[in-house]
Amino acid sequence: MFRRKRSATDFAEDIRAHLELEAEELRREGLSEEEARWKARREFGNVCAAEERFYLKGRWGGLDKFFRGLRFGFRSLRQSPGFAATAILTLGLGIGANTAVFSVMNAVLLKSLPVADPDRLVYLRTSNPPRGTGTIDSNETFSYPVYDALRKQSGTLSPVMAYVPLSGSKVAVRYGAEPEEAEGEMVSGTFFSVLGVSLPRGRGFSQQDEADHAPITVISYNYWTRRFARDPGVLGKTLFVNGVGTTIVGVAAEGFEGVEAGMSTDFWLPLQNRPELNAYGNPLDDGKNYIADPKWWCLRLIARLAPGATRAQAVAQAQGVFQAAAYVGLGSPMAGEKPPVLNIVDAKNFPGYDAQYGSPLRMLMAMVGLVLLIALANVVMLLLARNAARQREFRVRQALGAGRGELFRQLLIESLILVTAGGALAWAFAEMATRLLGQWAEIESSLAPDRTVLLFTLGVLALAGLLFGLAPLRVALAGGAELALKTSAATSNADAGKSRVGRITVALQMTLCVVLLVGGGLLIRTLRNLENTPLGMKVDGLVVFGVKPNFTSIPEGIAFYQNLMNQLRILPGVESVSVTEERLGSWWSDNNDMMVDGRLPDVANGTSRTVRSNVVGPEFFNTLGVPVLSGRDFADSDTAASPHVGIINEEFAKRFLPNRNPLGHTIGTDDGRYTMTIVGVVKDHKYRSIDEEPIPMAWYMYAQIPMVGPMHVEMRVHGAPLAILPSARKVVQEMDPNLPLIKPMTQRAQFDTTISRQVLFARLAGFFGLLAVVLVATGLYGTLAYRVSMRTAEIGVRMALGARRGQVVWMILKDSLVLTAAGVVMGVPLAMLVGRALASSLYGVKPMDAASYLAAVAAVATVALAASAVPAARAASVDPMRALRTE
Amino acid sequence: MTTQENQFDSIALLHGTLDLLILKTLALGPCHGQGVARAIQRRSEEVFLVDHGSLYVALQRLEDKGWLRAEWGVSENNRRARFYRLTAKGREQLVEKTSDWRRLTRAMGLILDAGNGPQGEEA
Repeated sequence: MFRRKRSATDFAEDIRAHLELEAEELRREGLSEEEARWKARREFGNVCAAEERFYLKGRWGGLDKFFRGLRFGFRSLRQSPGFAATAILTLGLGIGANTAVFSVMNAVLLKSLPVADPDRLVYLRTSNPPRGTGTIDSNETFSYPVYDALRKQSGTLSPVMAYVPLSGSKVAVRYGAEPEEAEGEMVSGTFFSVLGVSLPRGRGFSQQDEADHAPITVISYNYWTRRFARDPGVLGKTLFVNGVGTTIVGVAAEGFEGVEAGMSTDFWLPLQNRPELNAYGNPLDDGKNYIADPKWWCLRLIARLAPGATRAQAVAQAQGVFQAAAYVGLGSPMAGEKPPVLNIVDAKNFPGYDAQYGSPLRMLMAMVGLVLLIALANVVMLLLARNAARQREFRVRQALGAGRGELFRQLLIESLILVTAGGALAWAFAEMATRLLGQWAEIESSLAPDRTVLLFTLGVLALAGLLFGLAPLRVALAGGAELALKTSAATSNADAGKSRVGRITVALQMTLCVVLLVGGGLLIRTLRNLENTPLGMKVDGLVVFGVKPNFTSIPEGIAFYQNLMNQLRILPGVESVSVTEERLGSWWSDNNDMMVDGRLPDVANGTSRTVRSNVVGPEFFNTLGVPVLSGRDFADSDTAASPHVGIINEEFAKRFLPNRNPLGHTIGTDDGRYTMTIVGVVKDHKYRSIDEEPIPMAWYMYAQIPMVGPMHVEMRVHGAPLAILPSARKVVQEMDPNLPLIKPMTQRAQFDTTISRQVLFARLAGFFGLLAVVLVATGLYGTLAYRVSMRTAEIGVRMALGARRGQVVWMILKDSLVLTAAGVVMGVPLAMLVGRALASSLYGVKPMDAASYLAAVAAVATVALAASAVPAARAASVDPMRALRTE
Repeated sequence: MTTQENQFDSIALLHGTLDLLILKTLALGPCHGQGVARAIQRRSEEVFLVDHGSLYVALQRLEDKGWLRAEWGVSENNRRARFYRLTAKGREQLVEKTSDWRRLTRAMGLILDAGNGPQGEEA
C-alpha cells in the first residue's frame, strides 16, 4: 500500500498532456487558441481535486493523517522545549522508579520457582523440634531419620526430597590447580526429576546415586557460564569439593539456582556420607555426621502433593509417620512434652523472600506509587496549562476549518509522543536502577525485567496516556470559533487562572510530599544512627577470611591453626592474628544457657538466661581492639593440657554475677560436661550485627574444647587491610593446596553487610523523597507561573488602579502559602500513620520524631515559597500599561 | 482503517460503469486519456459526459489493479501522451463485467417493466 508506482508529477503531466490534446482538437474544430485552452480546462473540471484524489489514492487515509499529526505534534512540542523536557523527564523518573521497584518485587515476591508445576510443590515445616535436638531453623529443618521415614511412606505427600548446603556460606572447590569457593548443596536422588528441572546437558541424579552416595556433580547454568565459559567439555571432568573428587555429570536448566530464596547454588551432589562432606561443613559431632546423628535437625525438606490431594489430607496422612520418626534415636518423649507437628507451606513463591524483603519492598512500592501520582498530576497540570494557553490558537484553527475531532486527535497525538518518549526514558532508567538495587540488596537471583514487568510498565503508560487524553477533552468541548476571535486575552483567560482542579491538585501534591519526606527523613536518621553506632572495637585495619581445612583428629586441627597463626604473624605489616569460630558481623551466633558455679543462674521472672558464645583463639580481644576490663586475654599458653579458661563480657557479669568479682568463678555448658574458669572480662561490643542490643556473652578457648572445625582468621595489619591477602593466601596454600580463603574482606565491610538492607532501604526512601520534592517543586512552579501569566491583565488593572508592588507579591505568595498549609494539615496525620507502619524498620529514632516532621514541613514550605518567588517577582514587575495593552 | 480507494468503491455502480466504459474503449486498441474521454462521449452520442478528473483517477486505479498498462508515447499529432492498453487480465475483466452489466440491465428492465404487465390485479 505504501509502494507508489507512479509519482504525482507523472500524474500531473498526464493531465497536462490531456489538456493540450483537447485544446488542439478544439482548435481543429474551429475555436480560437485562447478559447480552446479555456474550454479544455473547463471541461476537465477541477485539476487540483483530481491530483489530490490521486495523492490520497492507495494510502491508508487514517495513517497518513496520523503521520501528519505526528509531524505537527513534534513541531509544536519543539516550540516549547521546556515543557516537553519537563514532561518527559517527569514521566521517565516517575514511571522508571516504579518499574525498577516492581522488577525487584516481581523477582523476589511474585515470580514462581523455575520448576515444573510449582503450584503442587510444598515445603515441610514442623511446629517445634523434639527436646534435646540441635537445628538450623527450629521450624524448617529435620533430621535424617525423619527424611528417611517420610521418603519411604507412599502417601499423597510424595516423594519427599531433602536438600542441605555443604556450608553456611561457600565451600572450597578446586577445578584444575587453583582453589576457589562456590555454593554447593547435597540433595536427594529424586531432586531434579521430581522438581521437573531439565538438564540440557548431561544427566541428573537417580535414587541409586543417592543410595551409593555417588561422587557426581550437577552444576548450575549460571556457574557453567561464569566459571567454565559454557565449555561443553566440562562434563566428565573432576571438581574437587573439600578435597573430594567428584565427576561433573550434568548442567541444570538456565534459571534454576536452587529452591531457597536468595540463594544461587552453583552445584549439587547426591546426599553424601563422608566426614569431609558433612551438612553445613560442620565437624563431626561425637564422630557422627548428619546421617548418623538423629539429634541434628539440619535437612530442609520439599515435596510434591499428589494430584487432587488437598494439603490437609497430605499432612494428615504423613503426620503419624513423622511423629514416630521424630523420636528415632532420642528415646521416648518426656511426660508433658509437646510432640512436633508436621505442616506444609506453598513453595511456589519463595516464602523466605517474603519474610526478608516483603515489608520494605511493599513500603517502597507504595512510595514510588506516590511519586508516580505526583508525577502524573504534574504532567496533567502542565498539559492543562499549556492547552489553556493555546486556547486562542485552537479557536483560530477551528475558525479556519479544523474540526473539533481533528483538534482533539492532535492533542492526543501530542500526549502520545510525550508518553512514548517518557516510557523509553523510564525503561532505560529502570534497567539501570534495577541493577543497582540488586547489587545493594545482595539478591543473587536474576532481576532482569521479564514479561510481567514489561506489562506492568505498559499498563502504567496506558494509564498515563489515558489520563493525558482526558486533559485535552476539555479543550475539545470548549466553545466554538466565534467566541475565540471575539474575546480578548484578559477575559478569556480569567477563569483559567482560578481553576479549582489546579488548586486541589497542588494541595494534594503537597500532602504526598510531606508524607514522603517524613518517611524518608525517619529512614535517613535510622541510617545515620546505624552508621554511627560504635562497635566497641577498633574495626579499622582488621581483615577477616575463613579457612576450612580437613583433619582427622582434634590435636591435628589445633596444630593446624596454631601453625597458621604463627606463620601469619611473621608476615610483614601484620600486628596480630587470632581465630574465631563464628565470624563477627555475619549474623551467625551460638546461643545456649550456661551454668554459673555449677548451676543455672537465677534470673528475674520472664527474663532470658541465654548466653551467646563463641570459640576463639589466643590474643583475640587484643587483635579486635576490644578493651579487657579486668583479668587477661587468651594466650598461646592456654592449651589442651592447661586448666580450661573462659572470658565473659560486662553484660554477663552484670546479669549473672552481680556485685561480685567475676574472675575465678566457674562457668560451663548447660549439660555440665565442660567447665572453665573466668580469667577475663571484656567491654561489651557488637557481635552478630550492628543493630543488636548488648547480650551476655562468653568465649571458649579453641585449643581446649573437644571439637574443632572451620575457623575464621582475624588479622590486624598496618596500612590497607586487603593488601595482606595475597601473602596470606600463599601461607594457607603452602599448608594445604586445596584451601581457598573464604569470603576475605575487611571486618568493617563484614559488619556493614548486617545493615546493608536498612541502608539500601533508607537510601532509596531518601532518594524517592527527594524526587518527590523536585517533582512537586517543578509542578508548583509551573502551575504558579502559569496562573500568574494568566492573570497578567488582571494584575495590570489592579496596579493601574493603585495596587502596590508588595500587595501584588503578597497576593501571589498568599495563594501558595494557603495551598502549603492545606497540604501540611492533611499530610502530617497521614505521615504519622506511615511512621507507625515504618516502626519496625527504624533504629534509634521514634516514629513520632518531631525533628523529622518539622524538617519535612520546613522543606515543603521552602519549596513552595521558592517556587512562588519567581512568579511573584514577575507579577510585581508587570508594567500596568503593557499588561493592559496585551489586548 | 479504510483506504480512500474503498470509499470510492462504496458507490460501486457509478465507478463500475466508468471502469467498464474505459475497458471497452481500450479493447479496440491502446489510447491516451483524452482519446478515451472523447471516444466515450462520441459513442454514447454525447449522453455520457465524462468527468475528466474522475477518468484519470479511474485509469490509475485500473492500472494499479493490473487491468491496464501504460507508457509514455507520441500521439498522432506528435504530442507526448501517456498511452493506456488493456492487459490479459483486463480483457477477462471486460468479459466478466460486460456480462454482469447485461444481467443487471435485464433485471432492472424486468422490474421497471413489471408495472405495465398483466399482473396488475391488486387494484
